[in-house]
Amino acid sequence: MDMSQYKSLFLSESREYLKTIADQVVALEQAPAERSAVDALFRGAHSLKGMAASMEYGDVVVVAHSMEDLMARVRDGALCFEAGVADLLLEGVDLIDVMLADVEADRECTPPPGDFAERLRGYTPAPPKKQAPAGEPPAEHPAPQAQPGGEPEKAKEPAGEASGTVRVKTELLDHLINLTGELVTNKHRLLNVAQEVASPALNDAVSETGKLLRALHDEVMKVRLMPFEAICDRFQRSVRSLAKKSGKEINFELSGREIGMDRGMLEQLVDPLNHILRNAVDHGMEESAERAAQGKPPRGTVKLSVSRDRDRISIQVSDDGRGMEPQKMIEAAVAKGVITPEEGALLSPRQALMLSCIPGFSTAKVVTDISGRGVGMDAVNAAIQKLGGTLVIESEPGQGSTFTLRLPMTIAIIHALVVQCGNVKGAVPVTGVLRTVELARHQIETMGKRQMFQLDGEAIPLLSLNRVLGLPLGRFPNGILPLFVTEAKGRRVGIVVDRFLGQHELFVKPFGRPLCKMAGLAGGATLGDGEIVTILDLAGLL
Amino acid sequence: MIPERLILFILGGEEFACSLQQIGEVMEPQQSYPFAGAPAHYLGLINFHGNLTALVDLALYLGLKSRPLPGKLLVLDPRLAHLALKVDGVSAIIASDLVTGEEPGDDPLTEAYLETPRGRVRLLQLEALIDELENGLKQPPARI
Repeated sequence: MDMSQYKSLFLSESREYLKTIADQVVALEQAPAERSAVDALFRGAHSLKGMAASMEYGDVVVVAHSMEDLMARVRDGALCFEAGVADLLLEGVDLIDVMLADVEADRECTPPPGDFAERLRGYTPAPPKKQAPAGEPPAEHPAPQAQPGGEPEKAKEPAGEASGTVRVKTELLDHLINLTGELVTNKHRLLNVAQEVASPALNDAVSETGKLLRALHDEVMKVRLMPFEAICDRFQRSVRSLAKKSGKEINFELSGREIGMDRGMLEQLVDPLNHILRNAVDHGMEESAERAAQGKPPRGTVKLSVSRDRDRISIQVSDDGRGMEPQKMIEAAVAKGVITPEEGALLSPRQALMLSCIPGFSTAKVVTDISGRGVGMDAVNAAIQKLGGTLVIESEPGQGSTFTLRLPMTIAIIHALVVQCGNVKGAVPVTGVLRTVELARHQIETMGKRQMFQLDGEAIPLLSLNRVLGLPLGRFPNGILPLFVTEAKGRRVGIVVDRFLGQHELFVKPFGRPLCKMAGLAGGATLGDGEIVTILDLAGLL
Repeated sequence: MIPERLILFILGGEEFACSLQQIGEVMEPQQSYPFAGAPAHYLGLINFHGNLTALVDLALYLGLKSRPLPGKLLVLDPRLAHLALKVDGVSAIIASDLVTGEEPGDDPLTEAYLETPRGRVRLLQLEALIDELENGLKQPPARI
């Protein structure tokens, strides 16, 4: 029998089981006595084995079978659920994950290491270690624990059609949102026509169509929403593994996992959030002894919380670690020649903290293999801006740091300021525009090689978007320079354009090959008159 | 291996070919919109059935003498790329069994030189062309 037609179903269901297993392993580490989680883990491995057997993926069967046997020993009370068991099960999850990728790519399955089944079969708990004398850090590297009073995660299994849901291919959803976006674009075309013919009846009809389209768009976007939970397991595992590696005691608290976000946006948040969490564990958190000496609980806390405020999503990563000192950040930046002492003196504490987002900037005295040299916060900031979001860093020396990401719920339809530069029109997401200014030439000051202007008592450098884009510079015969103020590398900058063309609601389309490789462009959109504009990725350009 | 069916087109006085299967549509020239920061062979963006598609002057890219529009646009299958190629004209569609001779290509973009009823034609490797165009865009944007 040809089973290939069932492959995609097998892959999607297997991955859901893997995710459930990984979630339950982490939950069981926090509450090893949770019977429902033990049962769910056993059933997950058993179901995976059964599905793989029916598809004749023998290597997957071998690994899943070993995991099932190990869990059977835990379920029957022959073995306690402990860190060693968790490690083996997570290793099994990783092995099967690789095999599923092979199946998907029609490659031969990567065979499991020869001793994997044997290690699971012969697993015996390590003998308890001697109690460390008071004041000494623990010899073992403990994994993160549940927050005090926290409920262990309830056992979950993948939802299927029996629970009233259906599986829909993601391409179909993408097509649906594409069609809805085209309708929104056409609504704007109709609005233009209605204005030209001055027909009240047509205006009413278009206006009503616009409301219906907005409702349709909202519903379609809801279908694309996935709970934040879909990417949570990676963070739990990442923090767990880093805590073990660096020998730190850490509680990892996660809240808001049920909050829905656009599928495309979730995928693009994994790396930035992982990076912030790695920094929090590696650089932000002190060793237990250091914490104890400061009168802090030896076990530090890292929180990842997601919340929704109307059509915005807020994601916060906070820790109760050593925090950052704005003055030290400024001194380091000056010492490295990133900013001048005069520029440093003008920075507010919040701006000083954002210096960490400048490429190559790091105040870490010790470079580790966990989070490197702070390299990557610039990439984190750029990725968030590309999603139409903002990053704010707050920190209290000795008390900890909070990284707040504010993001739109969807990246498909945005409000953007459309600008003209030379013969090119570009759109700047309004989330990146702090304000617009019409500047008279006499307000421009020259400081060294830089042109600046004063805004709210702060000297703001001026940049020409034409120059950035490689276009001829604007002339401004009336002596007025239109500019918008944005934030780049932690500082406000004024970006001069030839002309403002107004704010538009745009349906953003990603570019395919080859333009998807072009830095500085975040996609394109069609205006109401059919004209195509590119969405400028300011973080990438500046 | 020669594709089953070939589309033959003219560029700077030379005859070229590519696999018909990789072409989504042949279009009359349509309005394109310029975008910033791209090399000169990018004429702009066009809307191809809702896909924002880069329009490339293929003659200019290959260093041949480019003729001003009109001409024809070869729009690639959107599953391959969102790319349209401006060519001087389309001359024929032929089946591979009409190819009477084949010589290997002498550069990464040329898969082969084929002998056809319309004479010797250069078979373009579209995948290689897309790769090259992509690599050409990976340069960092202009600095301030």
